[in-house]
Amino acid sequence: MPRPPASRRTREEVDATLQVAKLNAAELLPTVHCLSFGPGTSGAAAGDFCLLELEPALCQQLEAGHSFVIRGDKDEQAVLCSQDKTYDLKIADTSNMLLVIPGCKTAEQLKREGTQGNIVHTEIFGFSNNYWELRRCRPKLKKLKKLLMENTYEGPDSHKEEDPSRSKYTTEDLLDQIQASEEEIMAQLQVLNACEIGGYWRILEFDYEIQLLNHVTQLVDSESWSFSKVPLNVCLQELGPLQPEEMIEHCLKCYGKKYVEEDEVYFELDADKICRVTAEMLLQNAVKFNLDEFQEVWQQSVPEGMTTCLDQLKGLALVDRNSRPEIIFLLKVDDLPEGTQERFNSLFSLREKWTEEDIAPYIRDLCGEKQSIGVLLTKFCRSSVQNGVKVYNSRRLIS
Amino acid sequence: MVQIVISSTGTGGLAEWVLMELQGEIEARYSTGLAGNLLGDLHYTTEGIPVLIVGHHILYGKIIHLEKPFAVLVKHTPGEQDCDELGRETGTRYLVTALIKNKILFKTRPKPIITNVPKKV
Repeated sequence: MPRPPASRRTREEVDATLQVAKLNAAELLPTVHCLSFGPGTSGAAAGDFCLLELEPALCQQLEAGHSFVIRGDKDEQAVLCSQDKTYDLKIADTSNMLLVIPGCKTAEQLKREGTQGNIVHTEIFGFSNNYWELRRCRPKLKKLKKLLMENTYEGPDSHKEEDPSRSKYTTEDLLDQIQASEEEIMAQLQVLNACEIGGYWRILEFDYEIQLLNHVTQLVDSESWSFSKVPLNVCLQELGPLQPEEMIEHCLKCYGKKYVEEDEVYFELDADKICRVTAEMLLQNAVKFNLDEFQEVWQQSVPEGMTTCLDQLKGLALVDRNSRPEIIFLLKVDDLPEGTQERFNSLFSLREKWTEEDIAPYIRDLCGEKQSIGVLLTKFCRSSVQNGVKVYNSRRLIS
Repeated sequence: MVQIVISSTGTGGLAEWVLMELQGEIEARYSTGLAGNLLGDLHYTTEGIPVLIVGHHILYGKIIHLEKPFAVLVKHTPGEQDCDELGRETGTRYLVTALIKNKILFKTRPKPIITNVPKKV
């Protein structure tokens, strides 16, 4: 056993100090902690340790043995990710001195234990003038689409698949590139209709995706199935000779909801999603489209039995009611900047004044946990009334 | 991109430590650095009020249960033996060494202890 250092205080010394300080030992709990700095005690400034402030939920996760990851490139603001959430990581300075003390008990703990006249020699672990602070933030997911768009999937026979120099990303690669938690990345991959092919996440080339979808809708039509009951097995049998089975199933998953009835797997196709992607196909080739003509062509292009309506295009296309004739054009929310101010700047450079109805689909994803669109508009826009309609314009001058 | 893992050792529950917050700064006499020096005695009154005696000063504080606890993270820089199961070198990581759920706050100025009161002549 290591011998206590010569400087270790004895009960007599502690009592003598109490007497000098004119404290009545009878009014104190019998246990005293003698605090000292160990020979190796260091400040957090040296970088050997740090304090991380946690919200209770994160603390419970650590107690349950989960780990966190700090992610960021040298030119990025670091974020801390739990399994399902992302937090901005900042250093909070304090002018006070924070001492980190192991084996030190609170009065309550001492009372509960009821120990007698103990002297506890406690070595201070370290000291600090700052701690790490976490603030919940939106995951930074824009890069995800950018990475996956580098090399879209055009089918197994495409010459692209023979070229090993083309970039491909596994889940691990994405975790290493994207400042977001694993669950948030997985959710976004679904939003992007990405598919895991041979262990790599791929976005299907738009034309290829449309081609797959057309196969499915044509089959539904020729078999006179209901859109709410498309049998997986028959689809695979009928379309298997045309396209890989995994791709057909992926397409059904992207545009439908899987369910099981009497041991048979079915998909309920989502008419809104199919109308939306059809509109995207029509709009992507034109800078702008006469609204009336577009609506006619659009309705003719969707499978029979589906009804188009402009509400299906929120966050995908924008209608300009002020031009003559009225026009519609493609404007995808995921092509706009990720930062809140940058997003507003970009929207106001497109159009000077927005109604709440028009702008809402383009800022909804910027809202925090308890934030509404109204709060964002108040903070980043100025409002005025034009012809009896409330419109929003930029607080700043947009060049 | 840099990924730094923060994980607990995984064996059993995490130790619970205490944070002591003092106004201002503590400096060692003769600027010798704090390491190896005695800070002082921490008592509690029977009512549970923490009392800290540092040198000739006495401080009264209070215990605060932290709504947002702290984790004490110790930096672990890889040496040669630190490889993952595939033999790749693992980068810098932080080990969660303890959790801190209570803070002893001394926010008032220390009171001097007067030892040598001159006697009336």
